[in-house]
Amino acid sequence: MAYLSTVDFFEDKNFLDRWQRNLKGDLDLSWMKAKTEKITAAAENTRRGLTFRDLDRGEYGFSAMPELIRQNRSFAPRGAELPDGLPDLQPAVSQKSEVWAYNTEGYYEEAMTRQWNATVDVPWHELAKYELPDEISRAYAQLLTFLTEVEMIATDVPAEWMGKLNNSFVEVRNFMATQVMDEARHAEVFRKRALTTGYGLMKASPQNEVGLKLIRDSDSFAEMSLALHLAGEGFVLTLFRFSEYISPTEADKKMFRLVMQDEARHVGYGVQHLKWVMRHFPEKREVIHKHLDEVENLLFGGGYAVEVTEPFIILAGKGLKKENIEQGTKITALFQLKQVEEYFERLDKCGLEERRKMSKLHNALELTRASLQEAGVLA
Amino acid sequence: MAFYLEKDFFEDVELFNLVTKVMSGDLTLHWYDAKTERVRISPKDPSRGLTYEDCNIGSYSYDRLPELIRTNYSMAPRGSELWGKLPDLGYTINRKSDVWADNVAALYEEAKARRWAPAVDVPWADLAVASLPEPVEAAMAQLCTFLQECATVEMSIAAQWVYSINQEFLELKSYLSAQIFDQARHIEAFRKRALAGGQGLKRASVTAEQALKEILSVETYPAGSVVGNLMLGSFLLGLYRHVAAVAPSPADFILFRFVMQDAARVVAYGSGNLRYHLTHQPQEVNVLHEYLDSAEHCLLGLIGSQECLEPLIILSGGGSTEEQVRVGCQRVGRLLAQTVSEYLERCERAGLTKRAERSRLPQYLQRMGIEGRET
Repeated sequence: MAYLSTVDFFEDKNFLDRWQRNLKGDLDLSWMKAKTEKITAAAENTRRGLTFRDLDRGEYGFSAMPELIRQNRSFAPRGAELPDGLPDLQPAVSQKSEVWAYNTEGYYEEAMTRQWNATVDVPWHELAKYELPDEISRAYAQLLTFLTEVEMIATDVPAEWMGKLNNSFVEVRNFMATQVMDEARHAEVFRKRALTTGYGLMKASPQNEVGLKLIRDSDSFAEMSLALHLAGEGFVLTLFRFSEYISPTEADKKMFRLVMQDEARHVGYGVQHLKWVMRHFPEKREVIHKHLDEVENLLFGGGYAVEVTEPFIILAGKGLKKENIEQGTKITALFQLKQVEEYFERLDKCGLEERRKMSKLHNALELTRASLQEAGVLA
Repeated sequence: MAFYLEKDFFEDVELFNLVTKVMSGDLTLHWYDAKTERVRISPKDPSRGLTYEDCNIGSYSYDRLPELIRTNYSMAPRGSELWGKLPDLGYTINRKSDVWADNVAALYEEAKARRWAPAVDVPWADLAVASLPEPVEAAMAQLCTFLQECATVEMSIAAQWVYSINQEFLELKSYLSAQIFDQARHIEAFRKRALAGGQGLKRASVTAEQALKEILSVETYPAGSVVGNLMLGSFLLGLYRHVAAVAPSPADFILFRFVMQDAARVVAYGSGNLRYHLTHQPQEVNVLHEYLDSAEHCLLGLIGSQECLEPLIILSGGGSTEEQVRVGCQRVGRLLAQTVSEYLERCERAGLTKRAERSRLPQYLQRMGIEGRET
């Protein structure tokens, strides 16, 4: 056994005696005098309901939370009275700035209210009225296979980290829980859509999966968040936006709009977390750059995997003929450029403007831009 | 870092040449004739939408999953073509009957369909309009403090395994994701309830937390499911149902009715998983009996903790006067008997036969003077 309670309740006579007294009406009621703050939280905006932000008061608040959680390593909720004897859960992360992000509580509330259901919120029955050309169906099935493949990683990783965070970070843990559910729903919706194409799933993408392993095996929450929320999901967010644009049916456009709003939240958390770290711990800058070197290797390798780019080219150009492919490669190049540009814009917002100068990915971006200008695709 | 990519792709001439070739219009199309099954599914019942059950077809189905997953340790979705050098993601749970239940797909669909949001679905403002007598409000605040501790474990018991479960069990992992989400919502709802009533949080429970840590520290998934989903889940389901019945305010009634339906799914999965597990691995009956012999004392630690029992008595009697406490004690006694017997009945029905005879819980309740129900 990994852990045994300090008491075997079957054998503890004091426990039994007290219980029997309680059930005869002899109550101790010492908990009524708990030394905690008495507050009456109320919704500031009744239309939005009672939010975590409305609870940000006194010792219950996240604003007053110290940088280092020294007192509570148990299941006790933040602000409760902590009697002696509470177990130590050995949380791996008890430092606020390792996990915190501006607006964490806002992202959580948004996730709660914007839940959707892949079973009924995509008009599946309408798909029957579309007969797509063979090459479009195949390309779309392949793109959906890739998307199914990458989404579940973003369920596993936050789930793994939730258990390592100090319980005082309730808003972060809860936000992670919403991400776990969001990503499970994404894997579901892309799988379902692939199975409605007439082709089913296609080929896995080893080049991308190796990148996913990098995210899975992150050594710290900060590394994980940088790779998953900011970089990986940032790239996927741009992919969703372009996928909506090249979607073959209105049902697909709706599907991508739904997943996009979830993904934007996850990326938002990643950006606001990095911003928090940079503002409170600027000395971490070098470590972050070092990690980004490998993360960008993932982005570059994964982004150019043919199991993603080729179906994208066919979908963007709307076919396999020469003129379709020409058009498709132009749109795909613009999309890839946009993915990388948005990634650097996010880093700029976090205060990492110097990243462009030291990044191989940025070099690649400049080369792509130059070749697109030379080809007349970009002004 | 624990893992580095096998290549520096920025220096990879092969990739550079491939990208140049593809972007100049010369596609490889190696994926174009993937060796996978062609299907075109559609909703069997359009009013219910496209469910996972509708996708349970051919090589994509969960019915055809083998008992042991030997061929896929990657993220490749079930039914896709596996090729090239897919990485080993290190899954340690690769046996279907350790985790599966016949109702997982349906429970996942139900979890999504019955979503609710504590911020807006509980009429919090009503609590301010008609405040409760102080002992009752204090009892509710203490109970909600305790229930956050329990929900944290119910969330963690699912979260700690998801990472280790093979991706082939997609529907099961999706259900666990919904459970994680549900329990996060419970933590939120109970926290909000305690802070909206004027009392704030009360005291954490040493007794309950010792029991909860033992539950969470379980070493195998089947044992974790039986103790976390079935035993702890049965306790919470019974408790929520009871508090909904004695709710001191309409807002509390609504809140506990919501959490009750989520808790019912946890118990349904726990029962389903135990049944599936024992049907396919009957030799594990004694292993689980032995585990529960040592772990069932945790149930006592939870329901017998002062921070749960005393507020429950006050809420059940409607106050702290002598007569109210007397009534409360009677009602809580019945709740305890019912909780234990329902848990043991579920064990029995799921294949853990003669659990009621073997368990020390009924005898313990008798010693307490609480009459157990026939099981």
